[in-house]
Amino acid sequence: MDGHHLHRIGRYGRSLRRFWLSSLQAEFEYQLNLVVELLAVVGNLVGSLFVLRLLFGNGASLGGWSWDAALVVLGLYTLLDGFTSCVLQPNLSQIVNHVQNGTLDFVLLKPIDSQFWLSTRSFSPWGLPGIAAGLALIGWALMQRSSAISPLGLLIGVVLLVSGALILYSLWFLLASLSIWFVKIWNATEVLRYTLVAGRYPISAYPAALRLVFTFVLPVAFLTTVPAEALLGRSSASWVFGSLAAATLALVGTRLFWRYALRHYTSASS
Amino acid sequence: MLPSAGPIVRATGLCKSFRVAHKQPGLAGTVQHLLHRRYRRVEAVRDLSFVIEPGEMVGFLGPNGAGKTTTLKMLSGLIHPSAGQLEVAGCLPQRRQERFLQQITLVMGNRQQLIWDLPPLDSLRVNAAVYGIDEAEARRRIATLAEMLELGEELHRPVRKLSLGQRMKAELLAALLHNPAVLFLDEPTLGLDVNAQARVRDFLADYNRRTGATVLLTSHYMGDITALCDRVLLIHQGELFHDGPLEALTSRLAPCRQVRLELQQSVPAEAFRPYGELETHHGHHVQLLIPRERLTDQVAALLANFPVVDLEVSDPPVEELIGALFRSAGAER
Amino acid sequence: MLEYRAEIALWALSGVLPLIMLAVWRDSNGAATAGLSGAQLSHYFVAAFVVRQFSVVWLIHVFEEDALQGRLSPYLLQPVQPLWRYVAAHLAEQATRVPFVAVMLAALAVLQPSLLWIPSLSQLVLGVLAILGAFALRFLLQTILTMLCFWSERAAALDRLALIPYLFLSGLVAPLQAFPPAIRRLADCTPFPSMVAFPAQLLAGEAVDVIDGFARLALWCAVLLPISLVLWKLGVRRYGAMGA
Repeated sequence: MDGHHLHRIGRYGRSLRRFWLSSLQAEFEYQLNLVVELLAVVGNLVGSLFVLRLLFGNGASLGGWSWDAALVVLGLYTLLDGFTSCVLQPNLSQIVNHVQNGTLDFVLLKPIDSQFWLSTRSFSPWGLPGIAAGLALIGWALMQRSSAISPLGLLIGVVLLVSGALILYSLWFLLASLSIWFVKIWNATEVLRYTLVAGRYPISAYPAALRLVFTFVLPVAFLTTVPAEALLGRSSASWVFGSLAAATLALVGTRLFWRYALRHYTSASS
Repeated sequence: MLPSAGPIVRATGLCKSFRVAHKQPGLAGTVQHLLHRRYRRVEAVRDLSFVIEPGEMVGFLGPNGAGKTTTLKMLSGLIHPSAGQLEVAGCLPQRRQERFLQQITLVMGNRQQLIWDLPPLDSLRVNAAVYGIDEAEARRRIATLAEMLELGEELHRPVRKLSLGQRMKAELLAALLHNPAVLFLDEPTLGLDVNAQARVRDFLADYNRRTGATVLLTSHYMGDITALCDRVLLIHQGELFHDGPLEALTSRLAPCRQVRLELQQSVPAEAFRPYGELETHHGHHVQLLIPRERLTDQVAALLANFPVVDLEVSDPPVEELIGALFRSAGAER
Repeated sequence: MLEYRAEIALWALSGVLPLIMLAVWRDSNGAATAGLSGAQLSHYFVAAFVVRQFSVVWLIHVFEEDALQGRLSPYLLQPVQPLWRYVAAHLAEQATRVPFVAVMLAALAVLQPSLLWIPSLSQLVLGVLAILGAFALRFLLQTILTMLCFWSERAAALDRLALIPYLFLSGLVAPLQAFPPAIRRLADCTPFPSMVAFPAQLLAGEAVDVIDGFARLALWCAVLLPISLVLWKLGVRRYGAMGA
């Protein structure tokens, strides 16, 4: 790697730091939010645990998953939901505003990658309680189990979690960048957020047809169930490979799609 | 920063046309639109060629929809030309290379890049990081520009609490932080009151003098153009109508000059017919239009033949001339 | 217009939560424990889906923007209570949802005919009335939260908070029959079951106490209406004082 590249990476790093510092400063003006968000996280978690308990009833499993194992899935969902609130929602919901107000032009004129800017410009600290609660729930559920988690299982689990987060990001980004063509479908990402709720429960709890949908169409399986399997020490090579392949495909896909969207924008706008 | 020799902007045969989907109103139109779209080609810019030297301040004139903004966007790389060659600061704008983006800036009077809820300083720091300007240097540049723009504690107040004029000045600061060599300004004084307009104008002149940056500016206010630009490009129906000094444009649009006479006693209107076109005739006051090339002879003759108390020769106001041109353009469409 | 329909269709799609919950509930031990049959579950959740579609309220988002952009001031000068304007807009948009919901139900009928049933006329009439009541109740509750816009910049955050008990106690994600008795009693003390469970049970043709259900709806509306009107008055006074 030559000096030019290092210099460039440094500039991206410093930009990211500045992006997030300025977002934090703006958000901390609203301290009431912290209380609201903490209450929301606790409320959602209690509610989800309650419904999960109801789904278990007198039985010992949900779709073949024990209570502790299902808690890991719920924890991963909470974690990813926090990630969505921290990064995805505040950034990607802005794309449509940029298109509507014509401020996308300013983004395109910055000597920095436009996808990088649009995906990282804001950071909302209000998703952090969700991330913390998710981590706590995963940790607690894993400790309840008789067998200790293996370092390899943990490593694979973390890799698959990152891979799931990248798939989630790609889906959001794809839908959000559609607003370059269709401003009116700005709420497509809301639909995504509501349907991803399915990730609160292990994929095997769903009927077979939906399992296919949640794996290949709306890859909910890769977001929570697959990393949970790894953390529980029962991941299979095919799922690990599938998740990594899906993430790679999704990332390359967003990149190509964004280029295509920009080509459209720069040739069609006036 | 500036290339040592050669023009900084070179446009040759620049064209831009859009495909606009054409939809009939009503449900039937919508269905038809879905099944078989009909498109109409709109030619926004046609065969535009010009060259700008480093350090020039050039005004871009034309009615709404004449293609000014489209041209500025092509020059800054935001939209791709349909045909023609374009070179700005030694680069092909549409490739939007970092080297190019570091050298240009675009200010749009109707859009803002500063974040509404934050003080301008936050946005400035973000820009500094993105352009790779280190913090000490950024502080120095902000201080210099803020002094030139007469901005002080406004930089620490949320943008939404600033007046329109203060906001525009802060926008300029944000757009100039990276010391661009070429400035594209699209209506930078839009909506500002007279004082704020004058201050922005003074700043731009001062900035151009100090840094030698090239400025390409569009404005609805002739005052901006007359005050700042020695050279104007007038775009008319997507084509270049005039390239040169503003005075040359005036003489071209108005081949006559206006001569107003005050007489000791009233003279019948017929007496003035041989000298030029009679505009008004009220007793002692007479107003004539005289072709430029015959002006001196005719004025001398008027002074010799009539009891003239006072005489005034003037150009028709340039706003009126251009306005008339634009109106005739509108009527043609 | 077409694009506007796309927007509505997407909003309609975002209400699929009860259908997802149905998929999880169907083969769960929880359903067996609560003694709910497959048909009961599917009728209930499909009905809950329909109820949710036609009782969505988004007042707080449009109102906040109208107040910020100054569009509220001209409304205040008109002789009609401005809240009616928002009620009308909600009802109109819900009417445009009808075809989308019909298409989604038709798709369900093709994919899984066993999920659907034909309600009797009386069930349908009572169900629609109950949905309107549920909408009124949701609208009043959100009006109260919306009025807090005049005092706090983060009223929308409070609304998000109010959504949580609605989500878990209304019967949207779990039938109330599956609740443990203590929590069921707690839920019945809140207005939330009237917003989903009651109309959904009516539509699904479950045995419910119709009089009791409508009485609860009326009671909650009677409690919330004066509060929202008082807050409206205070809020508008404050809006005027701010000179917006």
